Amino acid sequence: MLEDIKPDQTLDARGLSCPMPILKTKKAIEKMKSGEVLEVLGTDPGTKNDMPSFAKRAGHEYLGHKDDQGFTRFYIRVK
Amino acid sequence: MAESELKALLREGYSKLFYQNWPVWLAGVILGILSVLCFAWARPWGVAGGLKNWGDWIYYAIGIYKSRPEPLFTSTNSLLTLGLLWGAFGSSLMSKEFGIRVAPAWELLKGIVGGSLMGIGSAMAGGCNVGGFFSATSALSLSGPLMMAGLLIGALLGLKYLYWELEHIPTGGGSGPVVSGDARPNSKAVQPYLGALVLLASILVAYFYAQEALTREGVLLLFGVAFGVTIQRARFCFVRGFRDPFMTTEAEIPKGITFGLIISILGFAALKWTGLRGEAVYVPQAFWFGALVGGIIFGFGMLIAGGCGSGSVWRAGEGQVKLMLAVLCFCLTTSPFENWINSSEGVTKFMGASVFLPSYIGYFWSVVLLLLFFLLYMVVAMWNERTERFLVEP
Repeated sequence: MLEDIKPDQTLDARGLSCPMPILKTKKAIEKMKSGEVLEVLGTDPGTKNDMPSFAKRAGHEYLGHKDDQGFTRFYIRVK
Repeated sequence: MAESELKALLREGYSKLFYQNWPVWLAGVILGILSVLCFAWARPWGVAGGLKNWGDWIYYAIGIYKSRPEPLFTSTNSLLTLGLLWGAFGSSLMSKEFGIRVAPAWELLKGIVGGSLMGIGSAMAGGCNVGGFFSATSALSLSGPLMMAGLLIGALLGLKYLYWELEHIPTGGGSGPVVSGDARPNSKAVQPYLGALVLLASILVAYFYAQEALTREGVLLLFGVAFGVTIQRARFCFVRGFRDPFMTTEAEIPKGITFGLIISILGFAALKWTGLRGEAVYVPQAFWFGALVGGIIFGFGMLIAGGCGSGSVWRAGEGQVKLMLAVLCFCLTTSPFENWINSSEGVTKFMGASVFLPSYIGYFWSVVLLLLFFLLYMVVAMWNERTERFLVEP
């Protein structure tokens, strides 16, 4: 379950709009190790489409998202 | 039992329409149909013309312009763009996506710079990604495809800038959560009701226009609303048609743009060929300098702003402050620039000539050529999706 995920790193992309959340996610993942989990906080509605398709194309595992108070948390496991 | 089945059915239908995004290709088809209907009804779809009208009004209100601009609420330009904003606002409420989103200061600055550049670019090209590219191409003008070349070059330059910025300018996110809408769970529950009211109100307004013998104008407002709802629900972002081939190589939007243009080109050709509509309509005087260079400036600006002409307006409608600033600055630069270009015959000539393709190769070959061109764009984009041939790494 998403509740049990302990992210190794959190990227705060709240307030950013397309394409910045994806570009910053890409950059953050480059500095992470395989198997680690990145949490991204975002407020752009478009990110809900963009994050899974980015993860799929890049070969990472998209673990899902959950809505928080006024923003969304996304989880990606680095390949 | 039957009643609860009906309820479930309606609930599912609502969820499909407003909680899930519409497929991009379907939105492309709808945009193509709307574009043809809009031209058949009165005039082609445009966005930048409305922004210019709003810019004229701002300068007039503060006393810089002496002559009164075209009235806000009867100018067809203004009504189409107002409708787009209206539709996107209503639709984002209905899908519980509305929220005032304040971006960090650096992002706001990018909205200002990007919007200003787009205003200048669209004045040069005779329209934004809609009027200068989508509608101009449909209108069988050669400056439409040329602006597209400019948009691709500008998008590539803009993407390179964004990559550079990521490495050299420490711009944080984290301006905090959305300040309204999303932030209060209760407000989310009422959003669909508010959204329905907002959309119904547009129909009511169109009815009042008809009462005042302004049926043409009122229905154009509704066309704007329909464009706004379609674009917001599919998140149909023209920027991605020119940026994604280099950034993610996704071909979804190129596919959507091509589907829309195939329908729109055929429809416009039918309306012009049969003489139902004037041949010169939406053939900008921008071939080649204005379309190409304006396209490059516009393309760079839309990457910085994160939204094009239509894209900035619909994102402003769902509450993104950065794009609201981009729209405002678009208005503020496009108005004096276009007026300056129009004021001098020399400058107008410098921007280019009106090139209506059928005047050179006839209607038949114009349509065939344009359709092949956009099919090629789609196929190359899909091939690039597999091969990542045009991918640009940071």
